[in-house]
Order: sequence, then C-alpha cells, then structure tokens
Amino acid sequence: SLVIRGEKDEQAVLCSKDKTYEMKIADTSNMLLCVPGCKTPEQLKADEESCDIIHAQIAGFSNNYWELRRCRPKLKKLRKLLMEDPYEGPDSAKDEASATSKYTTEDLLNVVQASEEEIMHQLQVLDACQIEGYWRILNFDYEVKLLNHVTQLIDSESWSFSKVPLNICLQELGPLEPTEMIEHILLSYGRKYTDGGEVYFEMNEDKICRTTAQMLLQNAVKFNLADFQEVWQQSVPEGLTTRLDQLKGLALVDRNSRPETISLLKVEDLPEDNQERFNSLFSIREKWTEEDITPYIQDLCAEKQTVGALLTKYARSSMLNGVKVYNSRRLIS
Amino acid sequence: RVPQRCARSGPAGAEDWLLLELQGEVEPRQGRALPGSLLGDLHYTRQGVPVLVVGHHVLYGKLVPLEKPLAVLEKRGARYAVTALVRTKLLFKTRPKPIVTHVPRKV
Repeated sequence: SLVIRGEKDEQAVLCSKDKTYEMKIADTSNMLLCVPGCKTPEQLKADEESCDIIHAQIAGFSNNYWELRRCRPKLKKLRKLLMEDPYEGPDSAKDEASATSKYTTEDLLNVVQASEEEIMHQLQVLDACQIEGYWRILNFDYEVKLLNHVTQLIDSESWSFSKVPLNICLQELGPLEPTEMIEHILLSYGRKYTDGGEVYFEMNEDKICRTTAQMLLQNAVKFNLADFQEVWQQSVPEGLTTRLDQLKGLALVDRNSRPETISLLKVEDLPEDNQERFNSLFSIREKWTEEDITPYIQDLCAEKQTVGALLTKYARSSMLNGVKVYNSRRLIS
Repeated sequence: RVPQRCARSGPAGAEDWLLLELQGEVEPRQGRALPGSLLGDLHYTRQGVPVLVVGHHVLYGKLVPLEKPLAVLEKRGARYAVTALVRTKLLFKTRPKPIVTHVPRKV
C-alpha cells in the first residue's frame, strides 16, 4: 500500500514500503475515462466465436492524474528531530523534564517524508537507539564516554580490536553504564559475530579514529594540520593508525594556506537540496577539486547518477596550477 | 455478459483497466445525470482501430500503449491501495463526425 507524507508547509511525497516519490498533479484538457475490464482488440481476437455485446461500465473520469518521480528520501529532518533532545545518559536530569521532543517510530513515520524502510535504514546509519519506546541519538560527549569505557577495557585486557567479547564487556562495564548502552556502543562501532557460541565484536578502527578526530576538531575553528595529525595519533587507542582519508565528509583540509590547516565540516550539517548544497559549499571554498568535494556531494546522487554528472550540472570547471577545479556557476554573495 | 477469456497480467490482486481519452467534454442528454447514463458504443475494426459512437457522432481513435503505466488507487483509511493498472489507452482525438442516416435525394 502507498501513503502520502508531508506537513502542511511541505510538498507532498508518495511512499511505498521502500521508496519515495515526488508528486505532481498533471492536468489535461482531455477527459480520461477509466473502464475496468474493457478489452483491447488483441484480447478479443482470442475468442473469434462470440459476437455478444459486452456491457462495460465506466468506473470514473478525471481531468488530471498524479505524476510521480522517484526522489531521494528527505531524511535530514529525521536527524534534526532526533537532535532536539540527544540522550545524555541515565544520570542526566534532563530526561525527566522534557517529554515533548521525543519520537516513536509512529511519530517519525508521520512527519518524515520517506518510506518506512528508508527511515529505518537511516536510523541505523545515525546509530540511533530505542530508549523506552522513543528513538534517541546519543549526545556526542556521552557517546565518547561510552566509547572510551570500551577502548580502555580493550587496552587493559589486551584484546584484539577484531575480537571483543560481549559478555566480559557487560560484566566489567555494567556497574558503570546501562547494559543496553554498552551493547549499543559496541553495535555502533563494531560488527557483531559469534564464534564458538560466544558473541564478539570486530571493532571499526576507522570509525574510532574518526570520532576521536571529531572530538579534537570541534573545540577549535581551525587546526594547524601538522599539529592536529600529531595530537590525533596520540589520542587514539594504542594499536590504531590514523589516516586523513578516515575523515571524509567530516573535516576539510586546506592545502593552500600556510601553514596547512584542517577544520570540522560535517556533510550532515549541510543543506539537503542540491542547489543549496552547492551554494553552501562554494561559499565555504571558492574552488574545489573533485577529490575534496566528492564526500560532500556523494549523498546527493540519485539512483545511477554519478558525482561527475552532478558537477557538470551544478558547477563550472577550470584549471588551476595544472589541477582541475570546480567553482560555482553563479555569483555567490 | 458473455465471459471472455483474456490473459491476466499485472500483479496479483490488481486488475487491468483501459483508459479512454476523449477531447473536450462529455455532456449527458437533457434531464439526465452523468452517472448511470450510456456513453456510447465501442467497436473495433478488423484492423483493430477503435471506433466510438457517442450520440450521433462517430469518433475514430487509436490504441496507445502508455509509456508509464497508470495505477488506480483506492483510499483505505489513511493509505492508498493499488486496485488496478492501466497500460493502454484508447485515444480519440479526431473530430467527431456526425452520422447522417438519411440524405434526401434532390427533388
């Protein structure tokens, strides 16, 4: 079955179980009559014998119909809603007070313009969890706190990052944090598997490094790149190796400034609309290489659309010091 | 009235409907309402050309397979279910020709 979603100020979308479509009403000056079961000449040929009159009824008529165009699910709103009240942990007094900014699955289905499957998938991507029936995103500091508990335990137990036992984590960290939260952080940062009847997690080293970087970068507007790389490597758990490519879509490196710098730029903070996204990117930086801009426009690609196609449409290319760069097609104030 | 066998296509549960596209408007005879009134007779020539007789007009049309099929939706509560699919339309866009049944001989 299909459902139309959208609030009064939004353009309606039609959603199936797993896809989202933009809706437009198509008007025609002609009259469209729907006739159930009316036969075409092909279908009638099958029975040469009968010459009886078939009484067909016109079910209805119209001057317009709905035209659908598959579109990207409008998921930015989902994150926005969940960020209204990030979960700060069981000790936070906040949770008791505010009862309004929390959303159940049903609530989200009513206001997010996307299919159910697309919404559920995005909740997973956002590392959201259900607490008392409400979908919550973790407050960043609380997330880091939980992650640190795990990485410190990995260190003290000398475990391999690819074989972290669930039961011991729950046992050792249970006194410090709710078991659901311990399991949630392991699921967010690792891949669950069983071996010999026991549950283990293969930790996502890149993601751990990424979160560590975010923690460092969010405290300053810009960082001296060399300094940052040094501090970053020292800050990650023993045994992990930091690499700049782990920060795609999270941080932007400026190789043209002296000294070279790095700053926080999260793709999820940028506008969802294609033109607005490009306007935003070009106001941050006038000229972009394809390599630098790709992580910030990748999510705009429709099914079978490439980053190259997007750049052709929304940007203009030129050469700068032998490198192909892209800038805005229009004046950015 | 006479059951005609025809190939059933489309997803289980969704019937195949046909669309009749007419230029202009259809008006009921005086004093009648549109619902329940007879529109006219649809014929196909041996070549498969659809011919529609409406009142005292005859319209010639053509079978046009729809580039994008249309779905007929039925509202069920807050959701819509697909009850039928339309893959072909009978498009009538030539000018209706009046049917003249009696031409008086020149006296």
